[in-house]
Amino acid sequence: MWKRKTKGDHLGKIMAVHSYKGGTGKTHISINLATSFVKHGKKVCLMDLDFRAPSLATFFSLEKVECWLNDYLNGTCKIDKVLIDISHRINGDGKLFVGLANPSTEAIREMSAKDRKWEMRALGRLLDLRNSLLNDEAFDYLIFDTSPGLQYSSINAIVSADLVIVAATFDRSDVEGTKRMLHELYDLFEKKTDIILNRVLYDVSSKSGKNNVEKKIKGMYQTPVLGIIPCFCDVARAEGSFIFVQEKPDHLFSKIMDEIANRIERSNSV
Amino acid sequence: MYTCKTLWGTSVTKQEFLGRKPLRVLEKIKENLEKLNEKMEIMIELQKRGRKDFQPLADAPLDVMTLLSMPDHLRKTAMTVCRLGRATAEEVAQQTHRARAVESGYLNQLVIMGHLEKERKGRKAYFYVEKEDQG
Repeated sequence: MWKRKTKGDHLGKIMAVHSYKGGTGKTHISINLATSFVKHGKKVCLMDLDFRAPSLATFFSLEKVECWLNDYLNGTCKIDKVLIDISHRINGDGKLFVGLANPSTEAIREMSAKDRKWEMRALGRLLDLRNSLLNDEAFDYLIFDTSPGLQYSSINAIVSADLVIVAATFDRSDVEGTKRMLHELYDLFEKKTDIILNRVLYDVSSKSGKNNVEKKIKGMYQTPVLGIIPCFCDVARAEGSFIFVQEKPDHLFSKIMDEIANRIERSNSV
Repeated sequence: MYTCKTLWGTSVTKQEFLGRKPLRVLEKIKENLEKLNEKMEIMIELQKRGRKDFQPLADAPLDVMTLLSMPDHLRKTAMTVCRLGRATAEEVAQQTHRARAVESGYLNQLVIMGHLEKERKGRKAYFYVEKEDQG
């Protein structure tokens, strides 16, 4: 179906975009990062693992869905039935597939009532994606958009990932919670973790302003900083109605996302 | 044919003892030593827990919250088995960069705790979380 490279010779990467608090911009970062990779010619799969508040189905206006990620984790369908090819919507040489969480109230209720044994099997199925998608189907990147905090689905995503990208803000309670998660969650699972500081208020025209923010973040978390995204009114005004890096490629936000994608690609090739 | 019993109850032929198959004999000895080692590890673990019987604790799913609450050394082993799906102590040791005997001890401990299952096939013991068709 999507074959490109020979089995076994592929070195793809799984990333989980996570945060302590909700509303830090995980989904926005996930969508735009995935699009940046596609623009660079990569084969990407973006998965909505936020089963409590699914958003990708609405964002991409996909209604007729054959199988949801819920079904894959339930063991009632294979992953190739879940993935939807939306490459035609992106201007780039790569490919973009999405795996959606079922946004119906019934499905959300059902997912929140799963027991530990089900969660254990769900972890097994997420771990299987490394073979079925990275090795067999030669995907370059799987991006898991997760739910915030310590939820089963998000910790399963973290355990399955090679890299955890933490979307954080300077909100005080978010800073304290993120610090705790760095030591009490990501470190325990020995995960490579990078931070993206989102919606930061600083003068983007001043280089020293950016350096000061970078210093502040490093002192705060002692964790590598993947990117600093200023608070842009244009992004807020877009109201999540389009893919920003696609529609406004010359905007500073898009350039920052491109740089973040480049950094990840460089670290992947080392 | 003349046979004798080793310390561990395995039959070895006279010819084997006379050196026609010395490698095979050594392999058998190694295999038996490994089995003995595993049994001792289980006995030590049971003694620690003050139990005399070897009945794994039933229904202890290896979910992420359980992984989080485990001591670091066991979590590393358990996560490696989760990633590999099914593995021997040797294969786990290759991933964790710890000694095979150390991993064997941790794996058996996880079996006793009810988090892993163990299946012996020939000389090799395989550890896994659960079979797909179970429960």
